[in-house]
Amino acid sequence: MNNKVLAIHNLKVRYLTEDGSVEAVNGIDISVDKRKTLGLVGETGAGKTTTALSILRLIPDPPGEILSGNIELDGIDLMSITEKEMEKIRGDLVSMIFQDPMTALNPVINIGEQISEAISIHQHVTPDEAKKKAKEMLELVGIPGARWAEYPHQFSGGMKQRVIIAIALSCSPKLLIADEPTTALDVTIQAQVLELMKELKEKMDMSMLMITHDLGVVAEVCDDVAIMYAGRIIEQGSLKEIFKSTKHPYTEGLFNSVPNIDDRKSELKPIRGLMSDPYNLPVGCAFCDRCDYALEKCKTEKPEKIYFSETHFAECHLYKENIDFQLNSGKN
Amino acid sequence: MSENTEFVKTEQLLKTKKRSQIVDVWRRLRRSNTAVIGLILIFIFLCMAIFAPVIANYEDDALKMNVRERLQSPGIGHWFGTDELGRDIFARIVYGTRISLFVGIISVSIALTLGGTLGAIAGYYGGRIDNIIMRVLDVLLAIPTILLAITIVAALGASILNLMIAVGVSNIPGFARVVRAAVLSVKDQEFIEAAKAIGARDHTIILKHVLPNSMAPIIVFATLKVATAIMATASLSFIGLGIQPPTPEWGSMLAGGRAYIRDNMYIVLYPGLAIVLTVLSLNLIGDGLRDALDPKLK
Repeated sequence: MNNKVLAIHNLKVRYLTEDGSVEAVNGIDISVDKRKTLGLVGETGAGKTTTALSILRLIPDPPGEILSGNIELDGIDLMSITEKEMEKIRGDLVSMIFQDPMTALNPVINIGEQISEAISIHQHVTPDEAKKKAKEMLELVGIPGARWAEYPHQFSGGMKQRVIIAIALSCSPKLLIADEPTTALDVTIQAQVLELMKELKEKMDMSMLMITHDLGVVAEVCDDVAIMYAGRIIEQGSLKEIFKSTKHPYTEGLFNSVPNIDDRKSELKPIRGLMSDPYNLPVGCAFCDRCDYALEKCKTEKPEKIYFSETHFAECHLYKENIDFQLNSGKN
Repeated sequence: MSENTEFVKTEQLLKTKKRSQIVDVWRRLRRSNTAVIGLILIFIFLCMAIFAPVIANYEDDALKMNVRERLQSPGIGHWFGTDELGRDIFARIVYGTRISLFVGIISVSIALTLGGTLGAIAGYYGGRIDNIIMRVLDVLLAIPTILLAITIVAALGASILNLMIAVGVSNIPGFARVVRAAVLSVKDQEFIEAAKAIGARDHTIILKHVLPNSMAPIIVFATLKVATAIMATASLSFIGLGIQPPTPEWGSMLAGGRAYIRDNMYIVLYPGLAIVLTVLSLNLIGDGLRDALDPKLK
């Protein structure tokens, strides 16, 4: 019955600090289907990384705290298992690629050993077999196996990211979480790394949760897209639905912030203002201060999900009465 | 053919690139003159300790009293002269090197193992565990090192083993603090998180990822502490709580010779020099290592 590799229901995470509590994730529901890629898009501080870390149960506690919700990974309820069982799952069923390849590798251990570490934790193999597998993984990501015994500082940023991908994939996980895997790389390398990830995803039959703020990356690799703002999923749909029939004003704002290469004279139209203070989220829609279409009730009422198709929804008051409302890039 | 030469070239390139960090540190250490002097001195002392039986006979030269030859000035027969009981000072210094270096290194190893473990646990887990461990060690730290060592030796009785335990235990708080600080600076880096994300256990993370990355300050501190441990050993022996006569030990040689300092100052001069030179050379090496291990100075 279950075609979902990852299903998150009503996840709420907050960080308790001395200045008050930061509500990082406020009840999100997302799911990733088998062999599909879900793009989790949002600006800095929207709660994307927190969501990813809660899947691995690696939220630093204190100050972090998962208030409610359940996370199901390949049929296993991650909230009810012990830390020991969780250790077995990390790296085996689910693994994560981190944002900055420069710091995500241990500088004093050679990369081959770092890859075989993941293998020997989860598979009962002799050190020699682990080493052999590590070399295969290196070849798989396009690095000569002979560079097995080299240290991270001998690799360029793109190569390091490949090594990290090799570590993440070494145990053939069901789900790969990629937390802005290309942010720290330059554009040509970005394309290579994305291409590699896409290719390996097909080859290894996995699902992927791609966290990014780059809509170009989303268009390149994702099947479904969830737009996150202030700890909520404000719009979700298939890639086509999000790109072709954008519903939420915030999503529209994101698209307007991307330069248009067809019309070089057009001015960029960034979203005005800053993200609302996470210590003190507004009662109503979190986006209403920055929204060009804001209604009176946006300030006081939380918008509900409004479905446009089975897969596509947005949390916005604009569609409550008039489901055919059309966004017009704020030209009133 | 050309493909083959190409391959050989890459292989060579790979080999030259594979210069390990130890080689790198060694090269930088060699650049510092003071560190080289320290290394040469400590090498001489090490040779003296290892080849002591070749240099002098323990029973005949260092232990046996020979009243007819007492209080001789340095000369051909006795390079450093003889002491009040006619024993050859040079032989006694050579055998004393063994004890000093041995006690220094072992007691620092004790302190490093125990203090390091405590510090690593405190730093890695933080919170309440950190507080409990560090506050207990703070109490130990409040007692002056030498006083603590004296108390321990007095309680356990004077012997080489107890001396090493005393000097080792009194150094535990220092090592715990240094290791804790080093661990704290490493544990929040992303590769630690990455190690957690592949399912590594806490102890593997501490041993494999945290400690190797915080080695530099620990190595420097340990080198400098060997020097202080040697001084502590000499001090305790000087006041009669360390190595017991007639076993040759620099501190007890000083104690034995201090009555003759007016007429036969060489009796205390040479053991004193030996202490000064070992401690100095270890300090020079420690300072050199501090510079060599600092990646910012590359």
